[in-house]
Amino acid sequence: MTTAALSEDATAFQPPATSPASKKAEPGTRGSGWRFLLVLVVTLVVLVPIVAVVGLSVQPALGSTSTSKFTLENFVSIFSQTDVLTWLRNSLTVTLVTVLVSVIVAAPAGYVLSRGRGRLISGFSLVLFVVQSLPVVTAVIPLFILFAAFGLVDTLTGLMIIYVGSTMSVAIWMMAAYYDSIPVNLEEAAWMDGCSVFGGFVKVVLRNSLPGILSTAIFSFLLAWNDYLVALVFLRSSSVFTLPVGLQSFFQQNATNWGLVMAVAVMMMLPPVILFATLNRYFSVGGIGGSLAGQ
Amino acid sequence: MSTRTAGEGLTRARKGVAVAGPGTPGGRRVTQRPGASRLTLFAFAAPALFLLVLLNVYPLLYAAYQSLRDGSLIAAGDFVGLENYTKVLVDPAFWAAARFTVIFTLVGVFGSWFLGLALAILLKTRIPGKTVFRVLLLLPWVVPVVVSATAWNWLVATPQSPMPRLAEALGLGNVLFLANPVLAQVTVCVFKVWISFPFMMMMMAAALESVDNNVYEAAKVDGASRWNELTNITLPMISRSTYISWILMTIFCVNDFPTIYLLTGGGPVNATQSLVVLAYNTVFQNFRTGPGVAVAFLMTLVLVVISVVLYRQIRKVQIL
Repeated sequence: MTTAALSEDATAFQPPATSPASKKAEPGTRGSGWRFLLVLVVTLVVLVPIVAVVGLSVQPALGSTSTSKFTLENFVSIFSQTDVLTWLRNSLTVTLVTVLVSVIVAAPAGYVLSRGRGRLISGFSLVLFVVQSLPVVTAVIPLFILFAAFGLVDTLTGLMIIYVGSTMSVAIWMMAAYYDSIPVNLEEAAWMDGCSVFGGFVKVVLRNSLPGILSTAIFSFLLAWNDYLVALVFLRSSSVFTLPVGLQSFFQQNATNWGLVMAVAVMMMLPPVILFATLNRYFSVGGIGGSLAGQ
Repeated sequence: MSTRTAGEGLTRARKGVAVAGPGTPGGRRVTQRPGASRLTLFAFAAPALFLLVLLNVYPLLYAAYQSLRDGSLIAAGDFVGLENYTKVLVDPAFWAAARFTVIFTLVGVFGSWFLGLALAILLKTRIPGKTVFRVLLLLPWVVPVVVSATAWNWLVATPQSPMPRLAEALGLGNVLFLANPVLAQVTVCVFKVWISFPFMMMMMAAALESVDNNVYEAAKVDGASRWNELTNITLPMISRSTYISWILMTIFCVNDFPTIYLLTGGGPVNATQSLVVLAYNTVFQNFRTGPGVAVAFLMTLVLVVISVVLYRQIRKVQIL
């Protein structure tokens, strides 16, 4: 690749004559053809499974009388033939409650992690980091026994509690990482004006933290929306299924009727894709890792 | 992205600009008494601490206790000492699962890193429509794994699926991707790379952004080849992000359940059974809670070590 192509961002807004290197060749034209083709081919191959989901969902299902190539009847059928509306409602309920609770609980805790100092805080930070890297399966078995004692197995409430617990460590860390970018002088000024610590936190820090809150909320949303393992262990009856277990059980019963299965799959992937399309600035890949490594 | 500045921010906070905590410098005119402040800070963290103890710490301790007992999902059972662990450690299925976990992790980490880095480098150059490519290439990470597993099942699972038919058309005969143990392992690993490379692409793209372009210009003047640029400039300059992303991906891969379980359930003949899937199957399919928890707990110990090492490394470089 040419130097100019690599340094595109730096040279794009400068007059071409400022650096000797940018005089060589026409910037980025030599060899850009095969690079474009390569990326295009990789992208097309990568997208095959996703295109297949959408494509199959709008094709006539098995036993359909429709002769056209494009149809929305799969989406009509799944509403009458399956509990997909219930699953969708369950998933939305569980996810929104998880997002709300985890942001409300993590926001003040992140403030402690960001502003506090000392051995206790360092320990807190290490514990959070270790907790987020542990396998869910280890926690699921004891929690199953604990929740069985309180009648929380096979309920949405039980699921929400576990999801809030799973998001907690990363959510606190993400909020703290955002607060770190807010100068502490702002709070000090507020305290001088007679604000309490809590008042300063709410009026100054939280008010300026919308991007951090959105990142945390999106992280929690995806965790709760996508989880399969916890839902698989805890949910037994179709009336409390969330979409992941609902889709999976429907798939096992109708493995060959791809039109219907994929219609349910499209319902499930729409919310995250819409979120991504509208708020992709706030998507932080990898939770804690994203905030640590992406600096 | 907002969280990108976390590094600098942490440095600032830990260096002592923050004053609300227990370490309040004496000379500052802060209207709060430090004592009140400390109590307030505890109140801030209390709900989160309660949830963390109840939902993260307690289950871990209970799992340790349970792994020493001959219990079930309903009964606590008798104390059996380390019997569950010895049972697990002499079981060939455990070692097969450990082996597959290592393979799955190595392929997952380096496969996705290689593809992610290659794409990040390509997308840094001047090609038409790169913003569109960037968004489209992130979709495997955004789409829920249950959905993509369904799509992959459609692609490979049955003899009527497109991939087996393609293989037949190419003269490879009857290829059953999920029925042959080795092919099933390959398929699961490729699926994992497919899911994970967007993460690596994002991490590497962020790291490449921070490399100063003048370095390349200087190298060019010195007559460096493209290969030299890659090995002597690009890779060393993004080594920190690379290292962190490898360890994070290792943690993701070792912990991964749905990618494997939804495609193969651990089969055929347990060929794709990773440690997490083994723990799940032992507890919830074979109802042997003690040994299952022992497997999960052994894994947990390994992950604690990995994450503490990573944490230390990050702190050393970044904070001190």
